[in-house]
Amino acid sequence: MSRSSKSVTTYWATPAICVVGGLAYLISAWIGGRPGLGLLLLLIMLGFGGVVLLAGRKSETVRHLLDRRDERITAIDLRASAAAGGVLIVAVLIGAFVELGRGHSGEPFTWLAAIAGVAYIVAVIHGRVRG
Amino acid sequence: MLELTGNDVRELRTRRQLSQAELASAMGVSRQTVNSIEVGRYTPSLPLAIALARFFETTVEEMFHVKEQ
Repeated sequence: MSRSSKSVTTYWATPAICVVGGLAYLISAWIGGRPGLGLLLLLIMLGFGGVVLLAGRKSETVRHLLDRRDERITAIDLRASAAAGGVLIVAVLIGAFVELGRGHSGEPFTWLAAIAGVAYIVAVIHGRVRG
Repeated sequence: MLELTGNDVRELRTRRQLSQAELASAMGVSRQTVNSIEVGRYTPSLPLAIALARFFETTVEEMFHVKEQ
């Protein structure tokens, strides 16, 4: 795959995830007997994907966040993702502490924290093996 | 350990009468990245530094100034 066709594929990855995620919301909610909520969530996901695409036309930063051709913006994206992941882990841990304090088992927060921990270790090993 | 103290990217670019956007397009990066490199806010990767040096027909060491720490 050439660099430009790879960039085009990467560019459309986020909008595609919005569509697939929206459809998954719709199907899940439909199965759960709440099709109206599913449609609303689908519309939110499609709307977000559309906003991202429109913003990509106006903003150089958003465009390169989508196509990942610019090394500096890709590095910014990596740091921002790590920061968001860190905040999420803190939120999960707080959720686990609160649930344990209420006398519950701490689920699902303890499982989420375990998944995050295992994912981090796997990512470190993967990164180390790749050099 | 070496510390980057500055670079000649802006000087080389303006000497060739190129805009930041034109240089960015030639390098496959954003205009913001070219600007960040020029003002010393961002240190490019080795591949990008070499690409810049080749583009301006110079060397990385001549284009990027360092001092011993």
